[in-house]
Amino acid sequence: MFGYTVRRLVQMVFVLFALTLLIFALLKLMPGDPAKVMAGLGARIETIEAIRVKLGLDRPWPVQYWRLISGLFNGELEAMTYHKPVWTVILERLPATFELGAFALIIALVVSIPAGMLSAIYRNSVLDYTVTTVALMGISIPVFWLALMLMLVFGVILRVLPVSGRGTAIETVVGRWSFVTWDGFRHLIIPSVALASVQMAMNARLTRASMLEVLQQEYIKTARAKGLKERVVLVKHAFRNALAPVVTNVGMQVGTLVAGAVLTETTTAWPGIGRLMIEAISRRDQAVVFGLALFLAAIYMVSYIVVDLLYAYIDPRITYD
Amino acid sequence: MLKRVGLLLGFSLVLFGLIGLAETAVPETPGARVGGTLTIGVSQTFKDLDPRIMNSVYDSYVVNAVFDGFVILHPDTLEPMPWVAKSWDVLSDRQVRFYLNEGIKFHNGDDLTAEDVAFTFNWIADPANNSPNFTELIWMKEAIVVDTYTVDIITKDEYAPYAPGFSTETQAIVPKNYVLEVGDAAFNLSPVGSGPFKFVEWRAGERIVVERNEDYWLVYPNLDRIIYRPIPELSVMMLELESGGIDIADNMPATDVARFRAMDYIDVPQVGSLSYFHVFFNLLSPISSDIRFRKAVYMSVDWEAAVFSVFQGLTGVKAYGAVPPALWANDQEWLRDNVALEEDDAQAKRIFAELKAEGVLPAGKTVRVMTPLDPRRTQLATILATNLIENGVPAEVVPLDWGPLLDLAYRSESDPIGDFELMWMGWSGGPDPQDFLYYLFHSDNATVGSADNMSWTQIPEVDRLIDAANTTLDQDEREDLFVQAQRLIFQNYSAIPGYHYIETRGVNTRVHGYKISPLSNMWMTTPYHNVWVEG
Repeated sequence: MFGYTVRRLVQMVFVLFALTLLIFALLKLMPGDPAKVMAGLGARIETIEAIRVKLGLDRPWPVQYWRLISGLFNGELEAMTYHKPVWTVILERLPATFELGAFALIIALVVSIPAGMLSAIYRNSVLDYTVTTVALMGISIPVFWLALMLMLVFGVILRVLPVSGRGTAIETVVGRWSFVTWDGFRHLIIPSVALASVQMAMNARLTRASMLEVLQQEYIKTARAKGLKERVVLVKHAFRNALAPVVTNVGMQVGTLVAGAVLTETTTAWPGIGRLMIEAISRRDQAVVFGLALFLAAIYMVSYIVVDLLYAYIDPRITYD
Repeated sequence: MLKRVGLLLGFSLVLFGLIGLAETAVPETPGARVGGTLTIGVSQTFKDLDPRIMNSVYDSYVVNAVFDGFVILHPDTLEPMPWVAKSWDVLSDRQVRFYLNEGIKFHNGDDLTAEDVAFTFNWIADPANNSPNFTELIWMKEAIVVDTYTVDIITKDEYAPYAPGFSTETQAIVPKNYVLEVGDAAFNLSPVGSGPFKFVEWRAGERIVVERNEDYWLVYPNLDRIIYRPIPELSVMMLELESGGIDIADNMPATDVARFRAMDYIDVPQVGSLSYFHVFFNLLSPISSDIRFRKAVYMSVDWEAAVFSVFQGLTGVKAYGAVPPALWANDQEWLRDNVALEEDDAQAKRIFAELKAEGVLPAGKTVRVMTPLDPRRTQLATILATNLIENGVPAEVVPLDWGPLLDLAYRSESDPIGDFELMWMGWSGGPDPQDFLYYLFHSDNATVGSADNMSWTQIPEVDRLIDAANTTLDQDEREDLFVQAQRLIFQNYSAIPGYHYIETRGVNTRVHGYKISPLSNMWMTTPYHNVWVEG
């Protein structure tokens, strides 16, 4: 397992390197002169040129690429429009995205796995049909629309939750976190429920399907024939074996929750890295876009490695060495 | 849309503010309560808080609170009123002397003196600093310290001896010693001014907070704190306003105006803004350079109906010239009655057929109508393209993000003509017609690589008239010159005037004393008002 882990990490380095080239190329091919956008409407040509020179945008592409890469790894790469190092810009927004993603994941798991299990156990019952229907709605309803409806109902009509934004946060050595305060927790509810909706639906469906398959297996019949309690049969035997594909799916969702919350963050005015990406792109801040894209790619890759390792842990039959 | 402020405010300053203006006392507000927090919803995220480089109206909201302006324009009359400068004298053809109020302190305790004023203006006017606000002081030669509280402004030879066009938020006074000590970058992120509110914190993407300056020299600010919350989604901002999450929304779509007006706890103040939106012709294009094409395009659309369909008569009005109705010399009525073309599809079709027969409109050519991603202009571009198609001219709407749009509009060495025939664009300016006509239609500003005159209008007589308006103080004469220039521009059909935006805000009724301004600013405590909120 150790060897496998090392191999995967080494692969990750090569993949990230290839990604730096791809992301840089895409940035350069993106239409629109960043210097003109940064200078704003009505700027003098001298101002535009000065911005271009100051940010090194007039240098040859290999020089610009080296500047981005070296600056990113030595921490000195300055954002073009935020007046701070790129890592500072990213790290100050990261806690917001992490806590939103974590809460969404917790909500998704707490709701979807029991729902999926019960749906499989009581197949073709009213409960099963309800779970299936709600899951279908969850997959179908756009996240941003759901967020708006939640804001309207709970924020405006019922006035029990704040409409948008992030609440009071506590400063720690690892960033500012809002979930530890009551105000912050209340602000988290709507965006995390909206973000969790799709994951909830998918996990419930997957858990149900996986459980149904496992419940058909001979060893389940054997376990029941041995006189084991039904709860033991379902939890210790069926669920554990049904878990593998669910874990894989959840692991992949971790990356999506961190990196893919763009719509949710923008709609709910949540100050995370998803919204930062949109801002940086519209500002043509190539340094932030470059750093953030690589960071998000690394998150995805690490989460996939963790999922693979977890898969082997859950199912001892799986080995990588 | 960037905030542009009056290049030639100074004409007004001379006319209305000659010698020895008394300090203006902040009027008492009956029943005003001291205390409370005001929360403002802002449509975009913040970028720069240093007034020397800030060029976004959204950043100006915070600058309005943290800094004092050199002078301020009254929101109703747009007349200049003393602020940091308490009075001024015109000493000669090129020299105006400003006398500062004494006893003004920056938030770090430093006194605001003529050194700070001169430092601020000279920094902006120095081309080496590449300030985005350079063009707003382009008329200024230098600012000279006379004594601790007296500063002279010397204008360039080609400009009349007017008191300089100082805006408010962009020529807010910065503390020289502090800026030199901390550096421009740090000052931009954590500004120190002399204004009614002190900067407290800037939480990226979340909020900016300012709190009362307890030692403010002019008046004791009623508000404890102001929180500025960026909420990019307008629909969410409306929800926040409705729920009480914010007290002021800096924008409101036309579709929500009636709904909020019906609420007894929300006011919807409106005022004609100093903005102008048009679809201009690319006069470098062989197609658009033909005035018959331009007139035929104009005649293809019922523009009154088109603008009404987008704004419902609530948040925008049809424009007939570039100078907004809120300004003098707008000449809107004459332009409407004598230049604007009624929809005449038969005539338009006939002209297009003629142009096709002559080869001016090549067979198979699709006319490109460029537009920013703004939904209103996209909608108007779609109306225009649809009508052109109905009149036999293939047309397409090309919505573009700012980057590629500006690349196209500014032209380039590789594409000096520009591959488009029409483009929707907007402009906001200050309280002088110069701010619209000079930038949008003077040939000085048709420069490859950076062009405010994106249509590439090059009419020598227009240039002469606009330049002449720079060299006289006679208000009547200036008005006549601007009127003549504007008539020539639009008789040339360089552009089809689209609309002037009506500044519309949503304000909770717990907020008192707030005045909406055509300059789009967000002053809360000034020489003429002091906003307060109910508990």
